[in-house]
Amino acid sequence: MSEKIYAWLLRLYPSHFREAYGNEALQLFRDRARDEKGFFPSLRLWLDLLADLAISVPREYGYVQPTLLGASAQHRLDGVPAFYVLEGESPRLGALLFGSVLSLVALGTFWILLSRAGSYAGIGVMASGQLQSDSRFSQQQAPRAGPQDAISATNRADGEVFKLDAAERQRVIDEAVAILKKYYIERDDAQKMADALLAHEKSGDEDAVTDGAAFAALLTRQMRDVRPDRHLTLDYSQAPLPQHPTGPAPEGLARYREAMEQQDCTFERVEFLPHNIGYLKLNSFPDVSVCQQTAAAAMASLNHADAIILDLRDNRGGEPAMVALMAAYLFDHPEYWYNPRENTTEQSWTHSPVPANRLADKPVYLLTSARTYSGAEQFSYDLKMLKRATLVGETTGGGAHSGVWHRIDDHFGMGIPETKAINPFSKTDWAEIGVEPDVKVKAADALVTAEKLAASKLQKK
Amino acid sequence: MPKRKLDPLPSAAFQILLALVGEDLHGYGIMRQVAEQTDGRMRLGPGTLYSSIHTLLEEKFIEEVDLREDAKLGHERRRYYRLTSAGRKLARSEAERLAGLLRVARAKKILRGDYV
Repeated sequence: MSEKIYAWLLRLYPSHFREAYGNEALQLFRDRARDEKGFFPSLRLWLDLLADLAISVPREYGYVQPTLLGASAQHRLDGVPAFYVLEGESPRLGALLFGSVLSLVALGTFWILLSRAGSYAGIGVMASGQLQSDSRFSQQQAPRAGPQDAISATNRADGEVFKLDAAERQRVIDEAVAILKKYYIERDDAQKMADALLAHEKSGDEDAVTDGAAFAALLTRQMRDVRPDRHLTLDYSQAPLPQHPTGPAPEGLARYREAMEQQDCTFERVEFLPHNIGYLKLNSFPDVSVCQQTAAAAMASLNHADAIILDLRDNRGGEPAMVALMAAYLFDHPEYWYNPRENTTEQSWTHSPVPANRLADKPVYLLTSARTYSGAEQFSYDLKMLKRATLVGETTGGGAHSGVWHRIDDHFGMGIPETKAINPFSKTDWAEIGVEPDVKVKAADALVTAEKLAASKLQKK
Repeated sequence: MPKRKLDPLPSAAFQILLALVGEDLHGYGIMRQVAEQTDGRMRLGPGTLYSSIHTLLEEKFIEEVDLREDAKLGHERRRYYRLTSAGRKLARSEAERLAGLLRVARAKKILRGDYV
């Protein structure tokens, strides 16, 4: 009976297989059925046969499929695309036509996408001499005082006291309107914001405000009522803002280099904790041209750790390039690396894997505090979003600085986002709200907590 | 580019080559030998077995020998298969490739202990 069933099942195979091997397959079935008697052996026999049918029947029909998979796997490494003709005959005319149409559609789509991307890049070009085009993530980069900083600036006693009068208010609003219209990336909203600023001015909403910081905060709020964009700010600085942005002078660079050498590029501590946990305390993301080797040495020294703790509790940010460089060690393949200050380009992927690096699959714990800022927040945010690290500590400071700085006059300026970085993770990043840790503890307790988490994770392995 | 069904070598085909290293075997003999050399983990079903045999025959890694009776299995005459020298070479190169992989795995400490 069971032989008949199997003989019937054999009819599922294509005829060329049945002709060549039908009898032998049936013979093999008979042999097994004879040798594997009893309930469990015959159950196993039938399970084997059904699994075999499920795998080999489609393969016999789609005879070329294993060829395709096999060939591509072998030759992919050379980086040269290879094509295999799967069948002896040439492709059908219909297939050729379909292929051509598909190629044309794909090319057309790429062309449209590329030309659209180009227009965004065009807006981001720094045209005015007033622009601060420094790409650094740093609180020192520009006189970008946030509202809190501005208030503390007003409280400082040094310098003459700035007085906000009607003429100054008028000048700031006019300038802000002009800058919005000229540079803000969302053109429609730029117009609406400009209209809102002028409408508020007309109705005299700011007439009573004489405090610079309060005035800046009020205008920021008016613009954000139109579009809640946390990268858009109007800032006040008590200390006069420099006329032209100062690039790093040669002697400044030499001083920086010397300072970095003295401080080991702010790699404050690299050591091993119990349970073979590597610990690295990094207090900034310094310039790659000066500190690349130090960074590489620090990461290499952690290679034999079973888990790593990166301490960013005193890290106030720095160079995006160093942020991306450090991140590259934590992946074994290029990973999209979101940076709100830059348009998405081919630079937006980490240069992983790093040769001779062994950290790509180790558990990572990041220690954060309210002082963790700017570039250090990018590092934390991206690793958290990529689920590559467990953040332990406090919510970070909330400095994204993704705008370009426009000086209005000695005391006012505007930060305007002129780039469109693709944030694949969420609608908002960490600007002004900070990065929430996965495990919320006081900064002072973060190390002990992370050590415990790492140790218990390693023990479970 | 000619068809290359056996590149990379599927594990069923490799097991069949290994099974035929010592002696000529018929289909059921191959199946039992493969089950034995894999501690019962791989039991080739008729479909997989004969489609692999077909490919190996086509590529001349094995050849058919005359129909014979297997004394233990009654009087039915069975088709026997034999490893060719090309098949032996292929099995050896696959084994060397796996040995290379094993070295890497050892170096990366995926395997506990020095011996496997």
